[in-house]
Amino acid sequence: MSGGTASEESFRRPKVDVARLRRDAWYRRPRWRRLLGFVVAGLALAVVTGPQGAGSTALMSSLKATFTSVPRLGVCVGIGVLLWAVREFGAPLRAPARTAQDGVARGVAPLRRFYAAGVWPKLAVGALVLLAGAVIPNLLSPTWQVVFVEQMGVYLLLAVGLNVVIGWAGLLDLGFVAFYAVGAYSVAFWTGSLPVQPPVVLNPFVVIPIAVLTCLAAGLLLGTPTLRLRGDYLAIVTLGFHEIVYLVAKNADGFTGGSRGTTKMIPHPSIHLFGLDYNWMFDPLPYWYLILAFTAILVVLFSRLENSRIGRAWTAVREDEVAAQASGLNTVRYKLMAFAIGASTSGLAGVVYASKVGFINPDNFPLLASILVLSYVIFGGMGSIAGVLVGTALLTLLPQWLKSYVPAEDRYMYLGGLLVAMMIFRPQGVIPSRRRQREIKLAESGVGGADATGAAGGTTS
Amino acid sequence: MSSFLDYLTLGIVLGSMYAIFAIGYTLVYGVLQLINFAHSEVFMTGGFVGMIVLTEFAPSRPHGFPSVLWMVIGCLSGMVGGAAIAWCLERVAYRPLRKAHAPRLVFLLSAVGASFFLYNLCGKLFGRTPIQVPSLYTNSVLFHWPGTSVEVRVNQVVVVGAAVVMMIALDRVVNRTKLGSGIRAVAQDAETAGLMGVDIDRVVSRTFVIGGLLGGAAGFLYGYAVSGQVVFTMGFVPGIKAFAAAVLGGIGNVRGAMLGGLLLGVIESFTVPLLGSEWIDVAAFVILVLVLMFRPTGLLGERLGRSA
Amino acid sequence: MLHRKIVKFAVPLAAGVLALSACSSNGKSGGGGKSGGSGGGKTVTIGLQGPLSGANAQLGINVKDGVQLAFNQFNAKPNKPFTVKLATSDDEGDPSKANAAATQLIQNNSIKAVIGPIFSGPTKASEPLYSSASLLSITPSATNPQLTTQGFTSFLQGIANDNLQGKAMADYITKKLTPKPTKVYVIDDKSEYGVGLANVARADLKADGVQVVSDSVPAGTPDYSGPAAKVANSKATALIYAGYYADAAPLAKKLHDAGYTGAVFSDDGAKDPQLVKLAGTAVNNWYLTCPCTDPTVQASTKTFATQYTSTFKTPPSTYSAEGYDEANMLLQQITKLGAGVSRQALLAAMKTADYKGISKEFSFKSTGQFKGTDVWIYQVKSGKITFLGNVNQLVGSAG
Repeated sequence: MSGGTASEESFRRPKVDVARLRRDAWYRRPRWRRLLGFVVAGLALAVVTGPQGAGSTALMSSLKATFTSVPRLGVCVGIGVLLWAVREFGAPLRAPARTAQDGVARGVAPLRRFYAAGVWPKLAVGALVLLAGAVIPNLLSPTWQVVFVEQMGVYLLLAVGLNVVIGWAGLLDLGFVAFYAVGAYSVAFWTGSLPVQPPVVLNPFVVIPIAVLTCLAAGLLLGTPTLRLRGDYLAIVTLGFHEIVYLVAKNADGFTGGSRGTTKMIPHPSIHLFGLDYNWMFDPLPYWYLILAFTAILVVLFSRLENSRIGRAWTAVREDEVAAQASGLNTVRYKLMAFAIGASTSGLAGVVYASKVGFINPDNFPLLASILVLSYVIFGGMGSIAGVLVGTALLTLLPQWLKSYVPAEDRYMYLGGLLVAMMIFRPQGVIPSRRRQREIKLAESGVGGADATGAAGGTTS
Repeated sequence: MSSFLDYLTLGIVLGSMYAIFAIGYTLVYGVLQLINFAHSEVFMTGGFVGMIVLTEFAPSRPHGFPSVLWMVIGCLSGMVGGAAIAWCLERVAYRPLRKAHAPRLVFLLSAVGASFFLYNLCGKLFGRTPIQVPSLYTNSVLFHWPGTSVEVRVNQVVVVGAAVVMMIALDRVVNRTKLGSGIRAVAQDAETAGLMGVDIDRVVSRTFVIGGLLGGAAGFLYGYAVSGQVVFTMGFVPGIKAFAAAVLGGIGNVRGAMLGGLLLGVIESFTVPLLGSEWIDVAAFVILVLVLMFRPTGLLGERLGRSA
Repeated sequence: MLHRKIVKFAVPLAAGVLALSACSSNGKSGGGGKSGGSGGGKTVTIGLQGPLSGANAQLGINVKDGVQLAFNQFNAKPNKPFTVKLATSDDEGDPSKANAAATQLIQNNSIKAVIGPIFSGPTKASEPLYSSASLLSITPSATNPQLTTQGFTSFLQGIANDNLQGKAMADYITKKLTPKPTKVYVIDDKSEYGVGLANVARADLKADGVQVVSDSVPAGTPDYSGPAAKVANSKATALIYAGYYADAAPLAKKLHDAGYTGAVFSDDGAKDPQLVKLAGTAVNNWYLTCPCTDPTVQASTKTFATQYTSTFKTPPSTYSAEGYDEANMLLQQITKLGAGVSRQALLAAMKTADYKGISKEFSFKSTGQFKGTDVWIYQVKSGKITFLGNVNQLVGSAG
């Protein structure tokens, strides 16, 4: 109710007078209340960065250590107070920063216009990014190459797929990784690595279309009955779907190998086509190129799709499903389409992962993974392919990078803190899509709701 | 027959815990149309605060009245802990987004982030292995179901009793008090309620506190009576179940959450003898999906404002 | 609007980074003493892969501390031929993080051998990498029998596999319990470890003509009342629970509440002092098997236990002694071959080596499978895990 609209702006002066008339006690004034907030934040910082606890042997050891070590506590509270001082009295400090920023913005503006002008600049930038993506891993250590493939690359594919479902069609899917599992288990089945033998043993490459079709079918199977549900109900149903797939993988010992996973190594993919002979082995780099190629193809395909009839239909469904339906759009069909496209992308990721690592068990596909992919997409900027890619890259590499700076077991705590901070200060994501940026701006000024799940329910306050 | 009653009893005990836990999801959903993913951490906080208070302050083997008193103190401190965390969550992770009219998925991610942060922080502060909750009395048999040998134990009565008291209290708060009508008004139409002079911030904040009280109580009861131990990841699985229970009953509907929780507990309990324990979650979710297919807004329908 | 946003974002971020560097209390996980400066002479590095963070970190930390203790003792020797250093790599117990962890160790050329991985899932995922790098990986704890049937060339399983433990339980139940149970209830926790063990026990019991009732309760199930009631209602007189202590403890309490009075058997995953702490009297008279001797019980290992306790402020727990033994076994071989030994030479030597450790004797079949067939059994008596003896001997002596 307190958005800074223009009309409110002009009434600011009388408001101050009213405040003076009210004569709040000093400690109730916003400035000092904020000081309290910052001091509390400082204390929280001290607790968060404190020593590791000792469990049941000394329950309160960590808190005790934090609150008895006065210097550290002092530094942390001092930081809080300093931040408060900057916030309250730092206007002159911020001014140069702002002018600098304006300058940069002005400098960048022509570039932006050039970029937005046509399709060629975009292709050029895309090619540059692709080139960088191909070159950079060569300069990294083997550990990072593995991280690039197994922890980042696979999630890049997943995130690009989920972006279609959630960013464009606005369907909240909490069970996305289930399809990833279906893809991975498909490849395990068709290469004869499960207790159940397939009719013919295939090369992982040949399985790709099969796995993609399987996931497509799974997506349709799940989607057909459930896509009539609205926003949050869809979320819980997809979450349930994930649990069901996960538990079936875990419980159907005779088919999936249960919690012990695949019984044999899943073979590495190889190509024997038109005189081309290539075997992927343990080296991560060839897989990276494979992922890069898949991602590039998908990105091109999907961005064509976004600007097509289908993409616009998705937008309509996301923005206002009732209106879309009223204007003759078969919303269920388009929703299904998004769902199936996302599912098959996810399946593709599953194939790549399973054939790289050679071993899968249900623990590769916990519910947490579904939630993480969702975080990557929202963090990067829903609906913007560049954003989603950057967000995924940042968040998947961050835990690995943090390993050398904070205690390993605390990494996800910092990650969580980062997510909250990001959502508070930059809700549109790292690189937002232009449409979403506009929506959020409009919503901030109180015009319309920037609602991604397309629910027509009550307005939030 | 006796084993039927046996599993029914167990189901009701588990279900009443789910029910009070689910109310937190449903209340927040009713007011903000937002899935509060961090509510599972409220549950965990309740368990930990109760455990810490009992471990640090309660005498090792109280007898008679003091043991009851310490039980109540433990539960109340769990509730206060849960409420405090819920209040902080609203202040830090949600209010700024609300002020910015952020889209709902942004709330979702903020909640996920807060959840990651809180449970890992808890693991850091208190260790990552399970910690026992001190037992205040012998969990002896209180009575048998008439005509059968099915036993009912003290802890089971405590969980169900506490849940019933809290549900009645909540029902009265929501339906009879000024705060309750505020909550219902905001749930029905926040904008209009605001225009009518309802202080929306205050109502939202207090809704979180109420949800936190119940979530904290559920966490304490779970740690004390259901599993006997607390661990930093304890909120995750029950959280998903409680959320499912809230949806089953009709999210946003307080009585729906109660019904959904109980029903889910009973379903899970009967899955054990009928299908085997490994299918508990599958059965729960399959039934949830089936219900949603035929009643897309849950058993009792949504809208806190209308039916509660 | 946007610019203000950026400032709002940048300031706390910068401050946060500042704060982290200023406030960070170098809180590296407690206990692990520094392995000391390299001093003179050569340095040999040994890797360790296992869960050092995440939900299952405790087992990893147990092993790490055992290894660290062995290294500390070695480095403290006045006439040491070289200095030994530990390089850890965290796989979080997660198969999808295992390869990165393994690669980190493989690429470090100073690493001569790796202790770990700790869990079977990550082992299956990363063993092909170790094999292709000819880097020895000797696990103190991954008990899956499939690990030695997949042709991994540089893997040594330094522990008797699930087949043995499941069989030991079945043997003990059919031969030592009086009266001999006719109906045994077997629960696994749906982890690959629990399922493997339980399946062997089920098969062996059935072969002995015992009726077997099965259930699987996934680890982390919120409420064990239902499964416990099912056990009590089944009228079985013995129960096997294959899983870890965090779940065995609530199950024990619920079994007690449900009025189950039969014998209960569990495994090395449950054999942890924490089990007794968590479950209290409910766990009394439980039998626990383990392919490991208890470092706090056996005379030869008492010194290890006291030194461990004084270094890490906590008594040695599951797999600490195995980690300690394997570390010492490696050190013995490297001392013999010289600090400049190649990975391949060390691997070859270890495969044929024979080492009598504090927990048991280590030697391996050509597949890398552990040669010994000993499983020890313990019983919880009035709040303490007490040592009963070697199952093979106990069962044998009973006829």
